[in-house]
Amino acid sequence: MADQILIFLQALLDQTGAAHFSFGNLIMIVIGALMIYLAIAKHYEPLLLVGIGFSCIVANVPGPPDDVPGGQAISALLYAVKDGGLFHYAYMGVEKLIIPPLIFLGVGAMTDFGPMIANPRLVILGAGAHLGIFVALILAKLLGFTLSEAGAIGIIGGADGPMAIFVAVKLAPHLLGPISVAAYSYMALMPMIQPPVMRLLTTKAERQISMAQVRKVSKLEKIAFPLVMAIIVNLFFPPVAPLITMLMLGNLLKEVGVTDRLSKTAAGGLMNVIIIILTVAIGSTMAADKFLTVQTLEIVVLGLLAFLFGTASGVVTAKLMNLFMRTKINPLIGSAGIASVPIAARVSHIVAHQENPNNFLIYHAMGPNLAGVFGTAISGGILLALLGVT
Amino acid sequence: MTAIVPDTLQGALILSVIDFFLSFIIISGIGFVLALFPLLNRLHATLPTAAVAPKGGAGDKAARPGATSLPPAPVADDIAAIAAAVLVAMDGAPHRILQIDPSQRSAGWVSEGRVAHHASHAPKNT
Repeated sequence: MADQILIFLQALLDQTGAAHFSFGNLIMIVIGALMIYLAIAKHYEPLLLVGIGFSCIVANVPGPPDDVPGGQAISALLYAVKDGGLFHYAYMGVEKLIIPPLIFLGVGAMTDFGPMIANPRLVILGAGAHLGIFVALILAKLLGFTLSEAGAIGIIGGADGPMAIFVAVKLAPHLLGPISVAAYSYMALMPMIQPPVMRLLTTKAERQISMAQVRKVSKLEKIAFPLVMAIIVNLFFPPVAPLITMLMLGNLLKEVGVTDRLSKTAAGGLMNVIIIILTVAIGSTMAADKFLTVQTLEIVVLGLLAFLFGTASGVVTAKLMNLFMRTKINPLIGSAGIASVPIAARVSHIVAHQENPNNFLIYHAMGPNLAGVFGTAISGGILLALLGVT
Repeated sequence: MTAIVPDTLQGALILSVIDFFLSFIIISGIGFVLALFPLLNRLHATLPTAAVAPKGGAGDKAARPGATSLPPAPVADDIAAIAAAVLVAMDGAPHRILQIDPSQRSAGWVSEGRVAHHASHAPKNT
């Protein structure tokens, strides 16, 4: 009798997901919970981390085995990602490169490129802060990745989520999951990653440099900017033109002043829907059996190194520029050249503000920060061209 | 299209060096183009505005020989800042306040909403 009860209970347990719960699942659930904690308690990019963290947790709660009627060996969320499910199509949007250009449309509609237009000298920082891409690329090659895979991993250092997805799909689609997770997670964690490097490479006096107010940019210049940039990028960088073209279209909708409804939709409702889809699609790839592999861990570590070297090279480039400039710039804005708009600019501002409460660097840091978007696009475009991808 | 760079460590190094320095050159080129943007304002200022401005408008004034352009009207915040500065400068000096008006900010907000509501679907005369 007792044996039979135990057998029935065992059969019942086998039909639940609990029997398939692994230590790896527990680790990933802790990681997901940590992301949500950082979003709520520390306000680290909650728009990204809440969705990624939640779907990471749910993706690591196993479902019942396949042989149970109506059951499946994966979690409910991953079931939704399977063929025909809601998030299957959401993930297809990422994989088929529909979502990244739409994100750029929204970013363009939200962004004022005035700081970049007002101070053209600082756009060099948008290239200077991308050394991390190449450090990660070379290290990935040393670890045995193919050159295409190494290029896709390196672009994490561009700190530009849609561009990382775009290049990964073109060069190494099988690595899309870990690359997008690493790119978006590190972008959200930049307030933790960047400040120690920035402080290490600058003196207190350098961090306290105040910068003079820049000139006011006219409406005509702001309207001309997206048109000129769209022409330049389509002319010289066709591989990455879809992203930058949409960025510029969004910005044109914002600046012309006669398409408010469209720019508000692109920057508001549409962007919010895409963020929800994107974060769940990315988080749902973080199932332990796929994520806790040596290859994924290597990508995660390389991504971190790319961010650290990118931050460092941006600060060093700004210091080098100071050797030749009469009016000194605060080297902290160099790290903003890594892209990740506007997170990196905000980090530059906060670190400077902590040193000198009267120093407001945000507008100055936005210039290199926006140039970083173009810097990543240029690096990615050259990378794709040299690797034979159109 | 085939890869130009070989799939070796040396290839990775060459790719990185070319990409990093080419990025500097190209983004410097973008910086140069942006440095030319103030010329757009000068070009715009030299355009014959009288040709497109309605009769009796601002373009008419600008077209008159010897006419000087008026500075833009100060906004409410500027007026408040100037008033505060004047008050500080006159501290102790004899002065007389003639009139103080409310800023009408709430009325402006309401009228903006009303205009947006009425104009949102109005046919445009071109």
